Amino acid sequence: MLYLSQVLSRPIRDLEGDRVATVKDVIVRLGEEDHPPLIGLVARYRRRDFFVSRWRVTEFNEHGVRLNSDILDLRPFVRRDGEVLLARNVLDKQLIDVDGKRVVRVNDVQMIQAAGEWRITGADVSLQGLWRRLAPAGLIGTRKPVEVIDWSNVGYVATGEATVRLKSSSDKLARLHPVEIARLAEALSYHHGSEVVESLDDETAAETLEEMPAERQARILGDMDEERAADILEWMSPDEAADVLGDLPEHKAEELLGLMEDEEQAEVAELLPYEDDTAGGLMTTEFVTLPRELTVGEALARLREMAETPNMIYYLYVVEGEGSWQLSGVIALRSLILADPAVPLEEVMRSKFQKARPDEPAKGVAQRIAEYNLLALPVVDESGDILGIITVDDAMEILLPKDWRQRLPRLFG
Amino acid sequence: MAEKRTALQDAGKRLFRRGSRGARAVARRKRLLGYLAILGPGMITANAGNDAGGIATFASVGAEHGYRLLWILIPITISLGLVQEMCARMGAVTGKGLADLIRERFGVRWTALVMLALLIANGGVTVSEFVGIAAATELFGIPRFISVPIAAISIWWLIVKGSYKRVERVFLLMTLVFVGYVISAFLARPEWGTVAVELVRPRFSLDRAYLFTVVAIVGTTISPYMQVYVQSSVVEKGVTAEEYRRTRIDVWVGTVFAILIVFFIVVSTAATLHKHGIQINSAADAARALRPLAGNYAEALFGVGLFGASMLAAGVLPLATAYSVSEALGFEKGVSRSFREAPTFIGIFTFLVAVGAAIAVIPNLPLIKVLLVTQVINGLLLPVVLFAILRLINNRELMGAYVNGPVYNIGAWLTAIIVTSLSLLLVLVTLFPNLFGR
Repeated sequence: MLYLSQVLSRPIRDLEGDRVATVKDVIVRLGEEDHPPLIGLVARYRRRDFFVSRWRVTEFNEHGVRLNSDILDLRPFVRRDGEVLLARNVLDKQLIDVDGKRVVRVNDVQMIQAAGEWRITGADVSLQGLWRRLAPAGLIGTRKPVEVIDWSNVGYVATGEATVRLKSSSDKLARLHPVEIARLAEALSYHHGSEVVESLDDETAAETLEEMPAERQARILGDMDEERAADILEWMSPDEAADVLGDLPEHKAEELLGLMEDEEQAEVAELLPYEDDTAGGLMTTEFVTLPRELTVGEALARLREMAETPNMIYYLYVVEGEGSWQLSGVIALRSLILADPAVPLEEVMRSKFQKARPDEPAKGVAQRIAEYNLLALPVVDESGDILGIITVDDAMEILLPKDWRQRLPRLFG
Repeated sequence: MAEKRTALQDAGKRLFRRGSRGARAVARRKRLLGYLAILGPGMITANAGNDAGGIATFASVGAEHGYRLLWILIPITISLGLVQEMCARMGAVTGKGLADLIRERFGVRWTALVMLALLIANGGVTVSEFVGIAAATELFGIPRFISVPIAAISIWWLIVKGSYKRVERVFLLMTLVFVGYVISAFLARPEWGTVAVELVRPRFSLDRAYLFTVVAIVGTTISPYMQVYVQSSVVEKGVTAEEYRRTRIDVWVGTVFAILIVFFIVVSTAATLHKHGIQINSAADAARALRPLAGNYAEALFGVGLFGASMLAAGVLPLATAYSVSEALGFEKGVSRSFREAPTFIGIFTFLVAVGAAIAVIPNLPLIKVLLVTQVINGLLLPVVLFAILRLINNRELMGAYVNGPVYNIGAWLTAIIVTSLSLLLVLVTLFPNLFGR
């Protein structure tokens, strides 16, 4: 086992044992493997950096490097795709520990030789790793255990160069809950946070963004490639997407809206005119309506057939007829399941229920949801048409103090 | 679902135009709010410099040297503005704190050095804050061995409990008392002609007392912790390179405002104390400069202001230091940030509060002298941080198009070189008092 700090600046000797250069950096190739292999060194001789392939190295330890030939290729070193320089790109940088769900700083990199090949096994994040680099060699008497994060748990390395991306990092990050990914991304600088979100697939990216503060969502989406941003917006719930668009500069918002698929675009566009602090601004357009003449059995069948069921189906909204938006009643999913399948909906539904107007102040509506212990509240216009619903978790966000919101789990996506 | 889709689509198309108009209205409202919210880090940081140590230093400057050191205020405004602006810019462009950048660019050894400097400098300032608390409460007749431990324990408790933010505003309000110096300066009827002349006439001297005062002025105005603080608050505000213009304005306005307060402190102490040959040896002496305004209530007024300023900084400073050091050395906390999970973090914080309070309760400690000495330590350690900042800000890889321009670089390097040579001179003159033939 060897640490990166033990080989950096060590001499590189040729066959005769003459010092020909020093180790400037160690190169690994990141791929699908959990423990990426070393592919060579960056050697430095008289202010010139050149590449030494691992095939030329016979000895590699804390005393330095020994080569198997006297011939050196002195062409200047150029980094190729997929290659990472450990000292330059990893050491002292932050990384996401997927297992510990935290952001840590790399104090040293651990390497192990197995089957004739050197591989990086982990990132040392302990105080020991710091001392190893601070104190002159030989003074590190203490054999305290080091804390090493296995490289297979490294989700993301916050390095300066955009070209250095861990290929498998998004898979590893995707093991985490979007809430956790959002917290971790926020712990990084905003450039790196955006990179983390961008590396995720559209759906996870959308869920992660929804957990972040509105300004941060807007910034990340605003800096992203427009097509990609529109794809992610489509996955977000319409009310969240509308909030983000409201936070973006108008030309950007219009552009992104224009790039979205028709259906999602329409849902979001419908929500945009409402002010942030009104019931209209708070509501989402994802809800289920059922015509009143349907029987309970038909209604349940229709629910099952739905291609995309909205997250909130605990309340079903009964309308005057097929294609109508005229709201006549509300049924809780519980009553629907318990009711006789042959009975028409209008007999099971409650025709007296709480509702809100779109221009009502958001705070009042949120308080009403809390008071009446509702999971959602329909928003209805002057003519009695249902426009959308306000779910309890959006209401909570209004009611709870700011730092509590982040701890709040989301009930309905 | 199908019906719903088409209906929605129609509604959506219809609303599309209205929608984008709505987005516009929202965006505009945000922009206005954004301006108000962003007008902050630079202003707060620059004025945080006027803490216990700052008040003591400038009151002493006015009392001891009269108007003769006023000329320093103009170059120091420029230097402070330059340094603060560079850090704010780094924060906006990189989205990272100063400690992070030093660690990522210069490696462990440099980080350790800079953090040690920061720890000593901030430790000194923390001591000065507790001394400020001692001085303030003694004005009201409460002995320091009672007030300081109580203050230290309550600060520690409030911060660990996380309820410090609520009390913070009270302390902040208390510091408004120092605006009283502005009124006092006018009421004291200084010779404005002399003030104007001294403001632009530089005087140099290699006298030890003179150098000591100058380094203290530099140390208290351009304190290392202010650079760290302004950068991390810019990062926390989420200012980006594109919105950076406003922050630049904020930094410069804040700097000028802070130095303006300093100007009035010096003028009012010069016009009241220096005229009568009174040296500042205690907080009560410094309070006398508020007499033209508050008469016999001057001491009480001064006490309230000093207490507020000291309590404010005594909480924030150890906390900020603990953050910087643990971030730079990689003791980051997990997703759920709890004090118990971060022993190093809480350790540094507790250590600073404890040491600060312990030194401040030493009996017969010459309080004002201690305040001045801590500012000198700040001045001596400033070059270490300044050179790190200059190397970072000129790194094109890091800053891209936002590296320093030539004018900025000249100004900033001059600041660094002058501060360094002043510090070295002070050390030399202190070690070899007869160096310059006196």
